[in-house]
Order: sequence, then structure tokens, then C-alpha cells
Amino acid sequence: MRVTVRRTVQTFIAVATVLSATQLFGASFATSSRVTREFQIDPAGSVWIDNQFGSIDVVGGEGNVVTVTAERTLTAPDQMSLKDASDNVALSFEGDTKVRLIRTLLPPMRNARWTVMVNYVIHVPRGVNVKIGGSKSAEHIRVANVNGSVTINGFSGVVMMEGVVGASVVNMVNGRIIYDYTQKPVARAQVQAVNADIDMWFPANSNFEWVANTINGDMLSTFNVKAGRFNGSVFHGIVGSGGTTINTESMMGHVAVLMKGSNIADAQSIRMNEPGHQAAPNDVLRQPAKKIQMPFVNGDFVFAASVADVVVGEVRGNARVETGAGEVELGAVFGQCNVTSLGGPLNLGDIMGSLFAHTGAGDIIVRASRMGGQVTTDGGLVRVIYAGGPMTLRSGGGDIIVRQFSAFMDAETASGDVTLTGDPAQKSIKVTARTLQGNIVLNVSPRFAADIDATILTSDPEVNEMHLDFNGITIRREQVGNKTRIRATGKINGGGERVELYAEEGDIYISAQTLTPIRLANPK
Amino acid sequence: MPDCDSMRENMPLLLTESLDPARRELTHQHIETCPMCVAEWSAYKETWSILDTLPELDVPARVKQRFLAEVSPAVTPNVVPFRRRSAPRWLAQAAAAVIIAGGAFYGGHRMTPRVELTPTPATLVNVQPAPFYSIAESRVLPAASISPQIEGRPDIQNVQFTDASPSNDQIGVSFDITSHVTVTGRPTDKSMVRLLRYVLENEDKQSPSRSRAIDWVRSTYAHVGNPDPEITEALANVLRNDDNQGVRIKAADTLRSLQSTMTDGTRDALVEALKNDPNPAVRLKAVEALAKLARSGGNMDPDMVDTLRKKASQGDENVYVRVKAAEALSSIQPK
Repeated sequence: MRVTVRRTVQTFIAVATVLSATQLFGASFATSSRVTREFQIDPAGSVWIDNQFGSIDVVGGEGNVVTVTAERTLTAPDQMSLKDASDNVALSFEGDTKVRLIRTLLPPMRNARWTVMVNYVIHVPRGVNVKIGGSKSAEHIRVANVNGSVTINGFSGVVMMEGVVGASVVNMVNGRIIYDYTQKPVARAQVQAVNADIDMWFPANSNFEWVANTINGDMLSTFNVKAGRFNGSVFHGIVGSGGTTINTESMMGHVAVLMKGSNIADAQSIRMNEPGHQAAPNDVLRQPAKKIQMPFVNGDFVFAASVADVVVGEVRGNARVETGAGEVELGAVFGQCNVTSLGGPLNLGDIMGSLFAHTGAGDIIVRASRMGGQVTTDGGLVRVIYAGGPMTLRSGGGDIIVRQFSAFMDAETASGDVTLTGDPAQKSIKVTARTLQGNIVLNVSPRFAADIDATILTSDPEVNEMHLDFNGITIRREQVGNKTRIRATGKINGGGERVELYAEEGDIYISAQTLTPIRLANPK
Repeated sequence: MPDCDSMRENMPLLLTESLDPARRELTHQHIETCPMCVAEWSAYKETWSILDTLPELDVPARVKQRFLAEVSPAVTPNVVPFRRRSAPRWLAQAAAAVIIAGGAFYGGHRMTPRVELTPTPATLVNVQPAPFYSIAESRVLPAASISPQIEGRPDIQNVQFTDASPSNDQIGVSFDITSHVTVTGRPTDKSMVRLLRYVLENEDKQSPSRSRAIDWVRSTYAHVGNPDPEITEALANVLRNDDNQGVRIKAADTLRSLQSTMTDGTRDALVEALKNDPNPAVRLKAVEALAKLARSGGNMDPDMVDTLRKKASQGDENVYVRVKAAEALSSIQPK
């Protein structure tokens, strides 16, 4: 009996020991190994490093030897995956004394169960050229004390450049870029990122030409930047007496050129328009990015920003909004409404004054335009629920839909369907609709009176047709080149306002329907 | 009722087209006028079609031997010789149909007026019955499968009369007919998915508007947990091929909302649209869909990342498209 109990206890302990060492207790397997290699290299040779996952430190020094220390860490949830990782990750050292290529080799289709990280510390002669590529994820990429040219191309991580004298190109997507010049810049630098902040530090007596570009961020400097000018969203300025070009460009982050010893908190923005500046359409890109969200504005609302999402519940005066990019949503505007966006959807509610809305790309939705106005998009859908006054609607490509119009309607799209529904309370309304590729549907009440002139130009007259619910219209067909023109003209219900419809490669429907009119609530 | 019984006896033979023409016509006429026999006939046809989809399996030798051993005492020289038919499969199917349908009928017809066949779960579960009606450009139908009653006043045109083989008594009448068909079913039914795919992809065949079709697909499948990948693939084809920019905008927008079943092909269509579509709104919708895919940890590929990177940095691209491309990139976690 005692022997049995002892065996049971021993078995239990053994099982618990095994389990504690496995993922069943939440642990994962990891293994780490270190490799050090030395290679001869010419003083002006090149060192190329290709490492997808892991940090890279390149430090310049004396001599003619490249010393590589690579620490490989593999992590997996089980031993089998760990072995798979170990079998599939290799470090490669290639090249000759002119070019040394240091690579981490991974299989093209990697098992997602394991991860690898290889951290490199590489000592190089100061004069070599350094090229780092293929980096997908790195805690940091650091290059220090290198006089040759430096090229870094990566996806995410912090890039640190210290004492790099030669020409440099840094191209990142996410992360941050910190560039520290230990002496005056003498070679061109091009530093680009998509979502990263760029901070560059220079000695106080530096001379260079600064080119900066950002859409969402700011352009900051603690230098006295002279002769500053904008070309679109790109800034050109001179620091000191000018000289080599330092190009900084970040799509969503800030770019800063800072004097050593100064603080970024003291930096001045150079994006604001100078006094007396002649207004230009792209000026809005020089306004810092903002985010606006408020329930109401008790008066006029004037707003401009490069990138902005604007949400205002109610404007009790006039609204004037300009954005470089972003979504604009205005719930109600008691006065005139003028919204211009270089790109992004516009969602406008009850507009009681005249309306002007334009976007470079995106849909425009207007719940009610009581006084009418003009709505245009370079590409996107236009949808108006209620048009109380004369309206002009334009789309560079996209459908136009009007749920109810009570006054002159002029709708045109380069490609898309046009669907217009007339106010059943109106006996006759002037309409012009045109699409260069698509259908036109005009819904009106059975007693709607108009002079109809509808034309279809089509290369397939068997497919594209007129569909008319009214009598008294004559349809003619004629050949125009290799296309057929189908034209319907005539008076319906005794004639009235002119209705001109033109569709290429599409159908035209004039449909008689018993419609329910939309009624708008009066503003409180 | 005696009439019904005799008609039901005819049904297996009708199914295998073994009835003489007079009895065949008589049976058809009865089925059309008798609701109970209609149900019975439908059950027969369903069973028949299910049997047709089952795989033919070889009888294991051991079973075959045991079976032959058991039946061998009954075999006598007086047994009428069995003449092998050229197509034994239909006979086996007919026999199986009679056994299953007969058993179900025997067990159920006194309890309920309607006879329904319940397939054995072990063999018939998950087997989709073959459809009885297919939407086709043209079809040939035996007269026996058409009801003698013509409903309404259908518009029949382009009538032709054929008598391909004067030696037999078969004639043919072919014609064009326009009939309005309403297909009902769940959005996930394969037949419905295929029909919608056809509607979406055949721009010349649809009236009045593909935009409306895409709107409807979006509103319908947004509520379906995992819409069939065929729907997203059809939308991807629309995005690639449709000349109408308004339609392409809606296709890209709908793909964004149906992301749960996005395949590599649909992702590639969005990448292609972002790269090359001349309409900024299409590019905008495409980049928004890709951004959403990136946020959800969807499958990224180097071409997609590269395209987003180029778009974010492309100076002459619409600013909003660039911003959205940058947002998408910020969501990507390299793997």
C-alpha cells in the first residue's frame, strides 16, 4: 500500500514537472544563441545589412575589420515549432572586402507559430558606406560615427543617426526618426516617413537649406529660418547661410529642425500663413491638423485645417469649413453653408441657407437643402434627400440621387446613374440630367407636366432603351457614327417646364408614380 | 382514395419513365388535381434526387458472400432467368425509392394527410437535393414534365415546330417565353448566392441598375454572419471590370462592409483599384477597405503594404487617400 502511494506521488510530481515546463502552464519555449564573426573590409567599402526582425547597431571606428555580433532569439509555443524555427532561420555572411552582406534568412512562407528576432551589433571602419534594408520590425536601428553614406529602409522602429557625416537616406513607415549631427551638415540628407515624427538636431552654426513637408503634422524649428516659402504643402527655407539640402518629409508626423541645446517645446511652427499672404486653394494644407467635435456653435462657424474630422451638431449662423482631408459632418446650419474639402466625405444635415459643398474625393450626403445650392465631388456619390431650391449637382464619377426636388434641378455625372424624384406637389419643374455612362431615372407624379427632350446615345440599342410611363412622346432613332441615338420628345400632360435628359450607354426611365411628399420640420 | 392508391403505385414507374403514355398522362393529371398526391410525388422526386447524389459504393466481399450464402437456398432452377439491363443503376434507385418511400408512407399516411420522407441521418444528412428548376438560357423539356394547364396569358414568341425523327411519335415545339420569376430563399442558400453573383457580374443582362443590385446585396449580406465568398468575389469582379464608376464605387464600399469573407482575390482587387482606378472615390473606398482589413489583423501581403506605402507618399494623390493609406500602414503589425 505504502509503495503504491509513493509511486502515485512520484508520478504526480513528474507530471507536474513536465507540465510546468510546457505551455500548458502558460509558458512558451525560447532559445537564444550568439554568433560573432570578423571580416576584412576596405576602408571605403560597403556593409549591407538585411534583417527583418530585430535591432541593428552600426558603430564606426578605426581599422579595416567588420565585427558582427548577432544574437538570435527564437520563441515558439512548443518544442516542435521551436525546432522548425531553428531549422529555418539562418544567418548569412557573404561578400568580399569591397562589399560585406550580412543577412538573416527566413523562409518565404513562415510558420506563424514561431517568431524570430536577431539583434545585430556591427562595428565597422568609420569610412564605409552602410545600407540597411528589409527591416520590418526593430526596436531600434542605430548608426553612429560613420563618415560614409548611410541608407536605411524599414517599416517600424526608432531610427537613431548620430554623427553621420556622409549623405544619408532614411525611409520609414512607422516609428520615430532622431537624427543628431555632431558637426555641421556637409552632405545631403533625405529623411522620409509615413507615420513617424522626425527630429533633427544641428550645431548652432549650421548652414543648410531646409525642405519640409507634412500633411497631418507640424513643421517646427528653433532656428531662425529665412526666406521661407511654400510650394503647395512643401516648405523651403534657409538656415544660416544655406548650403546642402536637408529634406524632411513625414505624412502624419511632425518634422522638426532643432538647434543643439534647444528644446522642442520652444520650437516655432512655420506652417501658418504670413501676414499679407495671397490666398491660394492649397493654403488649407498649411493649417495644422485639428479634430473638432462639438454639439453646437452659437453663431458663425469658421474652420480650416489640413487634416481634420469635423463634427458639429448645429451651427446657429453661417458655416465655413475648409479641410485638406477628412470627414465633415454638420447636423444643421441655420445660415449659409460653405464646405470645401480636398478629399473626404461630407455629411450635411438640414441646411437652411444657401449651400456650397465640394470635395475632391468622396460621397456627399445632404439631408435637406432648403434654399438649394451647389454640390460637387470630383468622384463619389451625391445624395440629396430634399432640395427646396434650385440645385446644381456634379460628380466626376458616381451616382446622383435626389429623393425629392421642388425647384430646378441640374444633375450631371461623368459615370454613374442619376435618379431624381420630383415633388408631387409641383405641377412642373425644370430638370436637366446628364450621365456619360449610366441610367437616368426620373420619378414624377402622374399629373406632372413638362416638355420632354430625352436622348440616349448607345452602342447597343438592343440593350439601352427609353422607358416612358407617359403618352404623347415621340421616339426617334438615328445612327450617329457607330452609335445609335434614341431621342424622345413631346409634351406630357399638356406641356410645361423643359425636362432635358441625356444618357450615354444607359437607359432613361420617366416613371409616373404616386409619391409621398417629404415634409421638413421647422427649426426650433 | 382508391384512385390515389393506384396512382401512388404508379409513381415509382413514373419516376423511372417506365409507364406507358396513357397511364403516364393519367397519373400526371391526377397528381395535379390531388394535393395529397402532389406531396407524395414531391417526396418521391426528392428521394430520387437524393439517391442520385449518393456515391456508388462497392459491396464488401465479406458482406456479399454472406448475403449470397443466405439467399442461396432460395435459388432453384425454376427461377426465371434475370436478364441484365443496360442501365442497372436506375433500377436500383427505383427499388430504393420504393422501399424508402413506401416505408415512410406506410408509417405515416394514416396519421397525417401529408407524407414526408425523412432521410436517414447517417446516410442522407447534409446531402443537398438537386434543384428541380434551373435558370437557363435554353432547355429541353419532355412534355410529361410540363403541366397541361397554361397559367395566365404568357407571351410566347419565335415559335418553331420540329420533328427530328419522323419514324417515332416524338415532336418538338420550341419558343421564347418571358416569364417573371421570383426566387425565394435564405441569403446563404447556394442557389441564391449563385443567382446574385450572376446578376452582379452580368452587367449587360441586368435592368434597370447594377447600383441598386449592389445596394441590395450590401444591405442583405451586412446582416449575414459570414456571407458566401462567392458574393465578395462577384463584387471584386465588378470592381475590376465594370465601366460604370458609380457601380465600382459601390462595389468597393460593399467589399468594405463584407470584410469577414474577404479572400486574397478580393483583397488583390482592392489593391488594384487603389493603384489604378481613375476615380478618386473608388481609390478612397478601396483604401478604406484595406485600412479596415489592416485594423482587423487581416491577411497582408507585400504588394498591399508596398501599394499603401507608395500611395501615402504619392504627392499627386488625393490627400484623403494618402491619409487613409497612412492610417492603414499604422495599423499593420509585421509578422
